[in-house]
Amino acid sequence: MSWDTALPLLIVVSSLIPGLIIFFLAEKQVAARITLNMLGVLVKLALAGVMLWGVFHGHHYEVRLPLLPGLDLVLRADRLSMLFVTLSTGLWFVTTVYAIGYLEDSPHRSRFFGFFSLCVTATVGLALAGNLLTFLLFYELLTLVTYPLIVHRGTEAARLAGRNYLIYTVGGGALLLLATVWLYTLTGTLEFTARGFLSGLDAVHHPALVVIFVLLIAGLGVKAALIPFHGWLPQAMVAPAPVSALLHAVAVVKAGAFGIVRVIYDVYGVEFAASLGVTLPLAILASVTIIYGSLRALFQDDLKRRLAFSTISQVSYIVLGVAVAGPMATIGGLVHLVHQGVQKITLFFCAGNLAETLGIHKISEMNGVGRRMPWTMAAFTVGAFGMIGAPPLAGFISKWYLGLGALDADQSWVLIILVGSSLLNAAYLLPILYTAWFKAPPASWPAERFFGRYETAWALLAPPVVTALLTLVLGLLAFAPFSPLEWARLITSREFTP
Amino acid sequence: MIGDIVAIPWVVVLIVLPLMGGMACFLFPTISKSLGLMTALAIFTAVGGLSWQLVEEGAQRYAIGGWGASLGIDLYADGLSLLMLVMAALVGLGVSVYSSGYFSRDKANHFWPLWLFLWGALNALFLSADLFNLYVTLELLGLAAVALVALAGGRGALTSAMRYLLVSLLGSLFYLLGVVLLYHSFGSLDIAILAQRVEPSPAVWAAVGLMSVGLLLKTALFPMHFWLPAAHASAPAPVSALLSALVVKASFYILLRLWLEVFPQTNTAFSQLLGLLGAAAVLWGGLMALRQTRLKMLIAYSTVAQLGYLFLAFPLATSCAWTGMLYLLFSHALAKAAMFMAAGNILRYGGHDRIADLDQVAQRLPLTLAAFSLAGVSIMGLPPSGGFVAKWLLLEASMNSGQWWWAIVLILGGLLAAAYVFRVIGYAFTQAELPHEAGVVPARMEWTALVLAFVAILLGFISPAAFELMGIGAPFGVGCAG
Amino acid sequence: MGKINYEPRIHAVNDILSAFLLISVPGLPLLLAFPALHRRLPWPGLIALLPATILLFISADIFIELPWMLLGGGLGIDSVSRWWLAMAVVTWAAVAAFLHVPGGRGACNRLATLFLLTMAGQMGAILATDMVSFFTFMTLMGYAFIGLLVADGDERVRRAGRVYLVLLIFADIALLEALLVAAASTNDLGFAVAAGAMTLSPFSVLYLSMAIAGFALKTGVWPLHVWLPLAYGSARPPVALLLWGVPVATGLFGAVRWLPLGEITAPIPGMLLQAVGAVGILYATLFGLMRAQWIQLPAYVAIIATGMFAMGLGAGLRDPSVWNQYGDSAPVFVVLVGLGLAIMVVGLAWLEASGRIPSGFRKTAGAALWLERWVAAVVRWGCWLGISILPGLRALWLVKWGRLWKTSVWQRAFNAGEHFLQRWVFAITLFLLLGMTFVVLLLLDAMSFL
Repeated sequence: MSWDTALPLLIVVSSLIPGLIIFFLAEKQVAARITLNMLGVLVKLALAGVMLWGVFHGHHYEVRLPLLPGLDLVLRADRLSMLFVTLSTGLWFVTTVYAIGYLEDSPHRSRFFGFFSLCVTATVGLALAGNLLTFLLFYELLTLVTYPLIVHRGTEAARLAGRNYLIYTVGGGALLLLATVWLYTLTGTLEFTARGFLSGLDAVHHPALVVIFVLLIAGLGVKAALIPFHGWLPQAMVAPAPVSALLHAVAVVKAGAFGIVRVIYDVYGVEFAASLGVTLPLAILASVTIIYGSLRALFQDDLKRRLAFSTISQVSYIVLGVAVAGPMATIGGLVHLVHQGVQKITLFFCAGNLAETLGIHKISEMNGVGRRMPWTMAAFTVGAFGMIGAPPLAGFISKWYLGLGALDADQSWVLIILVGSSLLNAAYLLPILYTAWFKAPPASWPAERFFGRYETAWALLAPPVVTALLTLVLGLLAFAPFSPLEWARLITSREFTP
Repeated sequence: MIGDIVAIPWVVVLIVLPLMGGMACFLFPTISKSLGLMTALAIFTAVGGLSWQLVEEGAQRYAIGGWGASLGIDLYADGLSLLMLVMAALVGLGVSVYSSGYFSRDKANHFWPLWLFLWGALNALFLSADLFNLYVTLELLGLAAVALVALAGGRGALTSAMRYLLVSLLGSLFYLLGVVLLYHSFGSLDIAILAQRVEPSPAVWAAVGLMSVGLLLKTALFPMHFWLPAAHASAPAPVSALLSALVVKASFYILLRLWLEVFPQTNTAFSQLLGLLGAAAVLWGGLMALRQTRLKMLIAYSTVAQLGYLFLAFPLATSCAWTGMLYLLFSHALAKAAMFMAAGNILRYGGHDRIADLDQVAQRLPLTLAAFSLAGVSIMGLPPSGGFVAKWLLLEASMNSGQWWWAIVLILGGLLAAAYVFRVIGYAFTQAELPHEAGVVPARMEWTALVLAFVAILLGFISPAAFELMGIGAPFGVGCAG
Repeated sequence: MGKINYEPRIHAVNDILSAFLLISVPGLPLLLAFPALHRRLPWPGLIALLPATILLFISADIFIELPWMLLGGGLGIDSVSRWWLAMAVVTWAAVAAFLHVPGGRGACNRLATLFLLTMAGQMGAILATDMVSFFTFMTLMGYAFIGLLVADGDERVRRAGRVYLVLLIFADIALLEALLVAAASTNDLGFAVAAGAMTLSPFSVLYLSMAIAGFALKTGVWPLHVWLPLAYGSARPPVALLLWGVPVATGLFGAVRWLPLGEITAPIPGMLLQAVGAVGILYATLFGLMRAQWIQLPAYVAIIATGMFAMGLGAGLRDPSVWNQYGDSAPVFVVLVGLGLAIMVVGLAWLEASGRIPSGFRKTAGAALWLERWVAAVVRWGCWLGISILPGLRALWLVKWGRLWKTSVWQRAFNAGEHFLQRWVFAITLFLLLGMTFVVLLLLDAMSFL
């Protein structure tokens, strides 16, 4: 087995093995667990770096293991997958640091970190999947390994949330399975190919392809929290903050969105999908989700719930971008995959910090919290402005390309959606900032803890600050080589140039 | 050396070994545990030998005493029987290890001989090449199984054992009647010979009907599953595992053999009926499993549902469907054995198996819970697992043949399975107090369950190799890359 | 003047030095905005102004390109922006001298940070040579200014801040639309090229209306002036000094830069602008000057000034030649108004301090503005709708169904079915069936049908 075939496997295994070992560690072996965890993270980061470099220089990484008759488990690194791999690996790093700080002295940490690692394994596998079957495999694996994270707290609310999560995701998985099998019987292949592999199919099958598309989108839309499959996401907020961060920014929601991108690009092919007439309804669905999620977010008092509805709205930008089906909009959608992740993870880290340090869960309790925790709230501010799309932050770049793409593809109505959503974003995020910075703080906080030198534990403080900086850098240096934007352009050039 | 291994008549060894082991256990009860374990290991090795032989030399026919078919007793081994033997060996080894920690001494004295006899009967059944031999082994199997169910003691166990016995006899009778009819018409009971001679006639219809009804009764296809949940749930855990994983599969195996070789062109209405009943079993079993309040009953109903899947292959009747169905049978055996073992651990630890109170137990037995969950993954048919591969093939076959409604049933069944499996797993994460008195669960019991469940998952990765083995002798035609 | 000559005429200053200088004009305030830095310095506000002051005294037009920044941008100074920069430096210097920022740790560090951020935003906006950079800095300036306005203020200032915030959001969205339209028409968003390109673009009307709307929202032209009287009425004098110099002047500057003045002939937007300006002047003179309180006077003067400016812009849009002729006087006008307003503010503060006019801002009864009413209505409406507008596919339904299924006939049906199956009836039926088959077979055999 040469290096080129070993690398995709190694990158998946690098978090799988630490995860599996961690399960068997005793609760008290903190040092061993942290070492293992960080070792896995660093190895994965290094491998991802190598792979990114290789893919950039046109290297071909692929491994095939026979899985079913005629179908292989394919792990392949292409540009699109590297976008997601880098995102999830990088954010996994910060989230792990955060989780170590967050879960200090709480029970069942071995279980938690074990599943945490498995979750990233599934995400990276999903990113590298070279055919729909492999994708499905990791997609379902993701469902299974995130469930224990959601119910980690073990309360009744957590159990119910977990159950709802399962009802949605297992159902979605079933639809995906059905669609995959159907597709396979029609075409005899499931290999992701640039510009899709369906356009050559006989016109007789086109109605079937439309139905399959609907099934696929429904199956993936459950995780991407498209309307009307979004119900599980706000409920899943009972999970600990690092899990919410992971769910919203890296793993689950992104997996759905990424899957939709894959389906549109590498299964159907944008042009063929557009000729089938399925992209416009999808774009409309995404738009409805964007507006609806923002509207719901507006009326939430619970901070994490507001952020959850915001995720519902923001993730649909990605879907909207690819569904508008023009090169510019695609860049916007793809780049938003990364940008939304970085921004949203910042917000969730900050929400977790507030809950952990001061016991604040509601926005109405946040009066003047900026004075008590300036660094956290500064990071939150950057994240929030990024979400609104204020320049020069990352969110601006996404919105910019989405807007340009809409004009480019002669779908000006998308601009109205963008405008409405920006307005609503501002309407539900800016009051939080206002409350936190400019209102007078109360005499005492609900459950305050002190952590010595900084406003909170360093492991809790560093991750949001780092991701907030990243938000700034991603926006400010959007044109630098290896920036997500440049990468998204590379991907798009493959899909659209004649 | 290699030539020597291939030359050994493994088919005979496989039948004789367990019977001898059983006798030995019966004669020396004090060391029955070690004897039993050794025999189990030996059988496992012998199955390895047989598969080597088959890989090297193709399907094997062995005439006992050198008498040839129609007069003497023939043994026949091809990919299909190999699959069943491997399944029996894997589950059997697991059950043996598990039982060595499970039974108290006096129970063990009864258990080991019975269990090894049962294993011998199973092996003989999977290797028999004629219908009467099949009957004899089936009867033997049934009796041994009934005795094992009764081993739990207590009123409930005895009642269900009794009921099981009656059902078993009834089923065998039906089957025997069919065999008699066939013999009457064609003058032979060798499967290969019958396959050449049989032609559609009222007598053949009647024989098919009778034999099928008998075998379906023993396989507990809906609505003839009525005896199964009680029997499987009231037996001791390793016995439940055996019954669900292996014993019901034996009668199914006969049905499959008949269907594939003796009556290949049976009319489609009957196969559609089988498919319908299978679909009904999937749904009914799933729903009933959801409604159970006790863990072992839940698992037993899950068996009812999973057996239903097997019958979905009949209306499809393509090589793909058969392969998928057999793979399901295989992975279900492993997963279900693991599940029953896990349930046994929980029962032993907490003293009860009420699902609503599981949270008290579940957190203290992480390995057991892991085993249950992994097995559940295969039962649900989620990737990557043997269950998934099987389901994929079945789905593919149903979509390919245009009978998409079976695909819907498969999907629905998977959803129901997910619902009842997670109903149990959900309790693993809730906080609860320690139970007052906790039983001791030996590590080997936990690990056996985990290993079996893990193998069920592993099956998802080795399917191409497994299909190659199954295809030896082309028991269900070629194609499907199997 | 519409055309800006960016031909590098670098005399004494070499490239690196000019680049360093230009970047440090917005960069130094940005850097100093970190509490850890400005806390340790005396007069951080004045130090932050140093590069801008130096730049003012370099007579050359210099500019640099920053291709790595955002979507590619640049900074530079020319004859137009020099006026604005000069005004900004003077204003900021004055305010920095007035605004007392105590050193050391404490709540007031916030004020210093926001002060410096606003300054950085304005400096950057003035120096920006392309639309995106301008937009970026202007956004920074806008939000930071709201913070500056609101920080440590009382409820009335906060109200002004909230109102301005809403207008600002709308403004930013309108400008973003304008930007997108521009970007869809031309690849180069530098002011030198973009304005000209927009003249030829098919989207020019959309662009014009969006840009005009955006800057109108930012500058407080009638009828979007509501926040100005509120802010002048309640802000502290140093901040009130900034009101004209920062948000309004920069907005006007943006309008000059963004609108393709002197190139396009757009009679309808031009007329509209003129009309709005005229009505604004009338309104402010009649209504504002007659009924306003003393302390609000500068606000109405500002509204009149912006109205006049809008009229000028409108004239420029209607007839390019007018702009080419008189456009150069625009910055002079703005600077003069700024000077006048500054004197007014300082004078009023002095008068107020010496007790010649009633102090403070009397809140008139029922003064909820239409904007506030609308926002409140939306929130109330949303809450009244019960938060859930679309039901979504709810797992809850499944749970409900589960409850139904526990209680209803279903349960009994299932129980009965299973009970029936588990009874012996079934087995006996089978036995009977077996018997019957057997008899039939025997009969058949007897009739030798087999």
